[in-house]
Amino acid sequence: MRRTAGLLLTAALLAGCSGGFPADPDGTLERVTGDALRVGVTANPPWTEVEDGVPPSGLEAEIVTEFAETLDAEVDWTTGSEETLVGDLEAGELDLVIGGLTGRSPWSAQAALTTPYTTVPDEHGEPEPHVMAAPLGENAFLVRLETFLLEQHRDVLP
Amino acid sequence: MSGRGPARGPGDGVTFGHTELPEEQSAALRRAIRLAWATIAFLLVGVTLVYLVMGSSQAMKAAWAEDLLSFIPPVSFLVAVRFARRRPTTAHPYGYHRSVGVGHLVAAAALLTMGTFLVLDSGSGLLAAEHPPVGVMHLGDHVFWAGWPMIGAMVLTGIPPVLLGRAKMPLARTLHDRVLYADADMNKADWMTALGSVVGILGIGAGLWWADSAAALFISVSILRDGISNLRVAAGALMDARATTVDGDEPHPLTGEVDDRLRALPWVEDARSRVRDQGHVFHVEAFVVPRDGRAPTLRELAEAREAATALDWKVQDLVVVPVEQLPEEMLPGVAAAEGEDERRAGAGRR
Repeated sequence: MRRTAGLLLTAALLAGCSGGFPADPDGTLERVTGDALRVGVTANPPWTEVEDGVPPSGLEAEIVTEFAETLDAEVDWTTGSEETLVGDLEAGELDLVIGGLTGRSPWSAQAALTTPYTTVPDEHGEPEPHVMAAPLGENAFLVRLETFLLEQHRDVLP
Repeated sequence: MSGRGPARGPGDGVTFGHTELPEEQSAALRRAIRLAWATIAFLLVGVTLVYLVMGSSQAMKAAWAEDLLSFIPPVSFLVAVRFARRRPTTAHPYGYHRSVGVGHLVAAAALLTMGTFLVLDSGSGLLAAEHPPVGVMHLGDHVFWAGWPMIGAMVLTGIPPVLLGRAKMPLARTLHDRVLYADADMNKADWMTALGSVVGILGIGAGLWWADSAAALFISVSILRDGISNLRVAAGALMDARATTVDGDEPHPLTGEVDDRLRALPWVEDARSRVRDQGHVFHVEAFVVPRDGRAPTLRELAEAREAATALDWKVQDLVVVPVEQLPEEMLPGVAAAEGEDERRAGAGRR
């Protein structure tokens, strides 16, 4: 048992030295950088607004565009229902899903919900933390996104 | 817990039922109670700390569950000791010593249940290839990877239990307390849980999604193993298995010592006893065969009893039964010579 633990530790450290820390099992951050960020968006004004013929707008769409610029990437938008988009995220066909998701989102087993970047009162006056949905376990990408949200957009209001 | 007072009488009048504890055992009991409270205080801090940082790591969840389960042994030790000290009553003529066995069984069942649940949980995580997300935490404007505080919490909560376990182990032997022994044993193994979690989190950081579930599985299997071995010993004691050493591995040497002491009496031809572990103390039925079929006097019987009970504080509840020949139906294996050898060997090892 001690030997197994030792081997695991060595393997983890060796793997850790070769790339960034934390690393992505499926290399999302590396693939997106300098290329395209595939974002799924569901209409949920004022966070996201979707109209035919023009790129999605709204607060979250703007934040995501800005984030893509820091990675030197273009945003590749896909619109659809939340369920469809989360399914695509799980299948590895999307890198990010937005649409005014909150910390109470039921998708936490299917997607990595980011740390809340802003908290605003909902229609009943209860504080509601707002999050985005990233692929599960792609931790380098998740850390980059969360760091960006916390450093650039902490407590923004729509 | 009152501090150590100035010199007090032998044993300070601390009793387990009718049994007055010798000074060594009284001191061990006081220290064990202090350590049990210290363990509970440490666990409260540890459980809170791990809960705050655990995020979605399976290994951290398993380690947290183990910390929660670790409350059971010290609490059942405190409860069991409280009951065991009661004097026997008309309704409970054997006293309340079995409370130790009950506490031990409860602790073992909890470990077994939680171990099974966690093995299934982390095993299915591994099979379903779940990728654990670990993002960032922030303290004020400082943003950092959430894996680092997890590792910090595991290192902090991994060391004190090992020290507590080392301190409790000799006390468990002195007091012949199985609940305390199980507690000390689990505490001593806690560093493996902590190390397992650290490896799992470093694995996540290195992009090895399976490392976390694998570490969780390793921790769960160790909890399950604790549960099985404790359940075996606890159930055995409650079913009146022969008295064994506190770790449950060997027959207790006192059984042989009692027999030898009785055989050494001039009027005794042969002696053999049946000993069960009541929890802390033993209940002994000693069968003696007098020489030449002569019935012993009441005085000889009383002396035999005194000689045997003088051997150890654990053997106070002892009855001496004069018999014509050793009864096979109450002493299984008495006819077979190898039974005798095995028991002697057990006594000789200690």
